[in-house]
Amino acid sequence: MKLTIEGVGKRYKGNFWGLREFSLELGPGVLGLLGPNGAGKSTLMRILATITKPTEGRALWNGTDIARSPNELRSGLGYLPQDFGVYPNLNAVEFLEYMAAVKGLDAAAARRRIEELLVLVNLTEARKRPLGGFSGGMKQRIGIAQALLNDPHLLIVDEPTVGLDPEERVRFRNLLSDLGGERIVILSTHIVSDVEATATGIALIDQGRLLACAAPEELLRRVEGKVWEWVIPSAELPAAREKWKISNAIRRGDGVHARVVSERPPVADAKSVPPSLEDAYLAVLEGSRESRLGMAA
Amino acid sequence: MSQARALYHLMRADFLERVRRYSFLITLGLAVWLGWAVSTGKLKLWISDTRGVYNSAWVGLLMALVVNAFVSLAGFYVVKNTLERDRRTGVGQILATTPMSKVLYTLGKTLSNLAVLLAMVAVLAGMAVVAQFVAGEDTHIHLGPLLAPFLIFCVPAMALVAAFAVLFETIPFLKGGFGNVVWFFLFTATVPLGIKMSHDPIGLGLVKTQLKTAVVKAFGSATDSFVLGALSNERQARSFRWEGMDWTREILLSRLTLLVIAFGIALLAAVFFDRFDVSRSWGRRRSSRKGHAAVAARGLAPAGDGAAVDSAPAPVPVHLHPLPAGSRRFHFLDMLRAELRLLLKGQRWWWYGIAAGLIVAGLFVPEAGRKVVLPLTWLWPVLLWSSMGAREARFGTDGLVFSAAWPLQRQLPATWFAGFLLALITGSGVGIRLAISGNWPAAGAWLIGALFIPTFALAMGVWSGTSKAFEVIYLFLWYIGPLNQTRSLDFMGAVPAAVKAGIPLVWLAATVALGVAGVAGRKRQLAER
Repeated sequence: MKLTIEGVGKRYKGNFWGLREFSLELGPGVLGLLGPNGAGKSTLMRILATITKPTEGRALWNGTDIARSPNELRSGLGYLPQDFGVYPNLNAVEFLEYMAAVKGLDAAAARRRIEELLVLVNLTEARKRPLGGFSGGMKQRIGIAQALLNDPHLLIVDEPTVGLDPEERVRFRNLLSDLGGERIVILSTHIVSDVEATATGIALIDQGRLLACAAPEELLRRVEGKVWEWVIPSAELPAAREKWKISNAIRRGDGVHARVVSERPPVADAKSVPPSLEDAYLAVLEGSRESRLGMAA
Repeated sequence: MSQARALYHLMRADFLERVRRYSFLITLGLAVWLGWAVSTGKLKLWISDTRGVYNSAWVGLLMALVVNAFVSLAGFYVVKNTLERDRRTGVGQILATTPMSKVLYTLGKTLSNLAVLLAMVAVLAGMAVVAQFVAGEDTHIHLGPLLAPFLIFCVPAMALVAAFAVLFETIPFLKGGFGNVVWFFLFTATVPLGIKMSHDPIGLGLVKTQLKTAVVKAFGSATDSFVLGALSNERQARSFRWEGMDWTREILLSRLTLLVIAFGIALLAAVFFDRFDVSRSWGRRRSSRKGHAAVAARGLAPAGDGAAVDSAPAPVPVHLHPLPAGSRRFHFLDMLRAELRLLLKGQRWWWYGIAAGLIVAGLFVPEAGRKVVLPLTWLWPVLLWSSMGAREARFGTDGLVFSAAWPLQRQLPATWFAGFLLALITGSGVGIRLAISGNWPAAGAWLIGALFIPTFALAMGVWSGTSKAFEVIYLFLWYIGPLNQTRSLDFMGAVPAAVKAGIPLVWLAATVALGVAGVAGRKRQLAER
């Protein structure tokens, strides 16, 4: 089971590149795609889900070009788009039965699978209600269930935890971790904690380009000894923000605990603290932007 | 002052949003085509087998009547989407949280509708000048007589259409496809009635009265014949010089009254307008009542917006079992069953009752009654067919459905077949009777009708992405063809003369062409994403 992305790029109208020279090779596990809004995460996911064709480069599923022969991948693909709709007059079971038929699943196997999935996404009680009356979180869970219907080899989920309550979010993260053992899961989000909890690999994207792809431990190692924290009085916070790129500021009894990622301590009494994935993400992003600005200058 | 500013910006934003869409260009293109049809003499105005010389007064009057007769009908469908767009884009919810009043909103939307319709009228007014030059009978342009009919006849009629479109959108059972059908019948019933009345919204009655007087003055007598539409070029009419309408105080008052009525309708729309509170809409209440009962029974709490929030049962740990080998096997019948369910879901018992009644009527009605029963039978499911091909775009399920394997070879044929089965079943009464009576040519025409309707619906849905296009065009076709016994437009075998003349074969060819167009359209959708 291998997904290879070779120099993929996508150009939109107005000569805007949503994705550029993107290469990656993936095996079983959970890959977290992290990047700011408009970084190109959804474009990449839509290309991998065979919905959009790349302008350049190619993506191969077990050696087959998915743009030329999409159906080989599609039979084992689970996809949860960022924005999707449902048929409001159908209930949860009917909608999943419909999707199972579209995905080419045997009716008996589909029925068993739907029962399991409804329990999994905690919708058994609402199974007979029209989807038109579902809340955003419930609709999102139906989306998750349909993505898992065909026991996919490749599961692509775009911002899957949007609208889920904290309990459901934790459940879904655990589910993704379990699923990642035997298939390729690609999770796109801008919520670092979702990736932190599930991903075995992280790809950082900005402005359509891959900035880094590594295991979380490796990314953390890159900022080891470069994360600093110190306490400043509340009144001095605005001035501090002007001077340093403060990634986090928490108000406590003794003042504001400011946190920065920097090669050197920002002030003499700053203490080195263990880095978080958010620090690593911000450091890579910042580094890439600075180097781009440098090149432009 | 701030209210007027809000009204202006509400109208302006909505108008700009519409005119910057590609579909607006198509609308203007259709207006140009309509104007060209008048210019080239394809659409004419005859009274008592006479016509006016093509001077500014006559061309202005003719074009203004064309606007009122055709744009009033089609324009309604063009503008009846403004509230729906606010609802779909979520802009409505934002507007609802502002101090904007409901009256201001419906008035703003009416004015925006009016602006769009008047843009079409302006195009046709320009085409009137072209028509006068093309006819070449009198090339002196007199702006007063040319434009007065547009101002006095068209503006109030368009205001009425604009307000009705908003009103329909605020009334839950009229805002969808049913409203489209209602407007069609309301309009087609109004036109013949209008000719008999002296003050009708379209202005036909007023024009007829004055033209008849002019014909009597020119030729000594006049019949009651009054035709606005396509007439054969072989028939020639005597011509007379028409110097324009006599805009009496009474006429001006009656047209002003229409403007006041349009204003009243826009105000009435505010009464029905739910201010984007989905829990207030009739359809939602109906499903939510059921939903809330189920929710209450199961310990779920309804949310404020009418949607339910899940407050309930603690999650049960579950392990997903792998799918058994061989379960990834596509069965067309499973797909067809799912598509059929999707097609029929949400219909109430009375829908099935009437469909069954029409089947029975088809079985027992004598041969002569077929020309009424068959068209009615295949009008009844129009709102079901109209969702074909457009459903994925309309409900946003395209990302899910089109990322499944072979959507073109599996899902699309199943969608079509479900529509075809619906045509076969609802038309089965007439079909069985034709077979029993051994009227095979008519049975063949009936079968071609059953093939044509879902193919047409699918192609229209795929290409337009909405159900409205099929609803409107099918209604036109249905009304002019099978119902009014127009031979060449009888696509279902309701006109015996059409069957005899082999017209169904033309419709079979059209079915094949539409089938190809439908597949090509879906292919394009899949490729362009």
